[in-house]
Amino acid sequence: MIGGLCVLLALLVQVMLVNRLPLPGGGAPDLVLLAVVGAALARGAVPGAVLGFIAGLVVDIAPPGAHLAGQYAFVLALVGYVAGRGAGGPVTTVVLCVLLAPLLAVGVSMLIGDSRVTLATLTEEVPVTIVYTLLVSPVVIWLATRGGEPRYST
Amino acid sequence: MRDSRRARLILGVLLTAALVILTVDHRTGESSPLRPLRAVGAWVFGSAEQLGGGVVRPVTTFVQALFTAPAAQERIRVLTEENARLRTGMLADKLDAARSSELKKLLGLAGAGGYKIVTGNVVARRGQPGFEDTVQIDIGSADGVQPEMTVLNGDGLVGRVIHASTTSSTVLLISDPASAAGARLEGGREIGVVHGVGEHGRLVQFRLLDSAAPLVRGGRIVSFGSQNGRPYVPGVPVGVIERVESTPGELTRIAYARPFADLTALDAVGVVVEAPKRDPRDAVLPGKEGDAVKRTPTRRGGSP
Repeated sequence: MIGGLCVLLALLVQVMLVNRLPLPGGGAPDLVLLAVVGAALARGAVPGAVLGFIAGLVVDIAPPGAHLAGQYAFVLALVGYVAGRGAGGPVTTVVLCVLLAPLLAVGVSMLIGDSRVTLATLTEEVPVTIVYTLLVSPVVIWLATRGGEPRYST
Repeated sequence: MRDSRRARLILGVLLTAALVILTVDHRTGESSPLRPLRAVGAWVFGSAEQLGGGVVRPVTTFVQALFTAPAAQERIRVLTEENARLRTGMLADKLDAARSSELKKLLGLAGAGGYKIVTGNVVARRGQPGFEDTVQIDIGSADGVQPEMTVLNGDGLVGRVIHASTTSSTVLLISDPASAAGARLEGGREIGVVHGVGEHGRLVQFRLLDSAAPLVRGGRIVSFGSQNGRPYVPGVPVGVIERVESTPGELTRIAYARPFADLTALDAVGVVVEAPKRDPRDAVLPGKEGDAVKRTPTRRGGSP
């Protein structure tokens, strides 16, 4: 439940604040992804996958969005599962998930045939997002490993 | 691996569900069954975003200000420069307009009197109380200016040329104490001499040669004209009598007149290079007496 609230809060902060900041490079950290990863780290694979699915669905239907519903549900469910299963320590898990999520999203978009996703997206936008997300991720790692509690805010 | 099979099953179900949703949404397009869901999402998140917008906006503005500070600095610099340039341009336009109106007046006066003039601008001025009262103008012998020529502006007589070099000339104003110009009263034949008294040209002295002739306040003076129109051509308005001094027992009467030309603020002037064929008499004087009297005092400042 706390994980769900965290994800909701992260989504609101993401849409209202982070995405509107004119950060250099034109990107922004993906807080929803980090919230899902953090919650999955603390709770395990199944809750992680379920939470990721729900979070992705909410992201899909949250207002400023023009993509198809289900895209992020797919991506975040998979990421939540991977984070809950764990791959080595929490640090490697988080880094892996942060790298995995945008690539997965691009892949799904390409499969659907989204004309907005091109090779330039992969080489220009995705790396910026990954860098910003990695910059914020230590907070998540610290919160998730502190006492098994999911993080409360970003 | 705890509960690995169940976890994989759940993951598979979730992924399949996501793909199904994706496919349904993709295939049905506009008539998607997920539309109501989107509408609900839009309502919920839209309200939340609107509520939070007021709280978030200062933060966003602050961060935006931080990140755009260098660009803003540059923009401020550019705008300041542009502002200065526009200001200069506006000032130049204003000066141009003022000069244009002065030149127009000058040409009107020259046309009324039949004077052939060369126009120029005052570029420097020398004037100390009690000493010479002269200005430098930017036209010289190359423009046809020679010493002992009449200088006037759109309002009236200014002075005469005393030196002329190739590109500039020196003009002795009628307010110079050493200047003397023949003048006569409007409408009559009473003649006198206009002397400068210094005082920055606020007043000139008019000495009427006939002590019995009527001399009243408000009477207007025009130049009398010298031989061959040198140094003064006839008919140029000189000034309005302000004060008549009683000089009992003297052979001449003295009055003080305010020059028509504002000698403290000269800009565009004309040098008369050819005198009119005949004396224009009072034709050059401004239209109405009351108008001229009323107009000029407002332009003059008080005593220094």
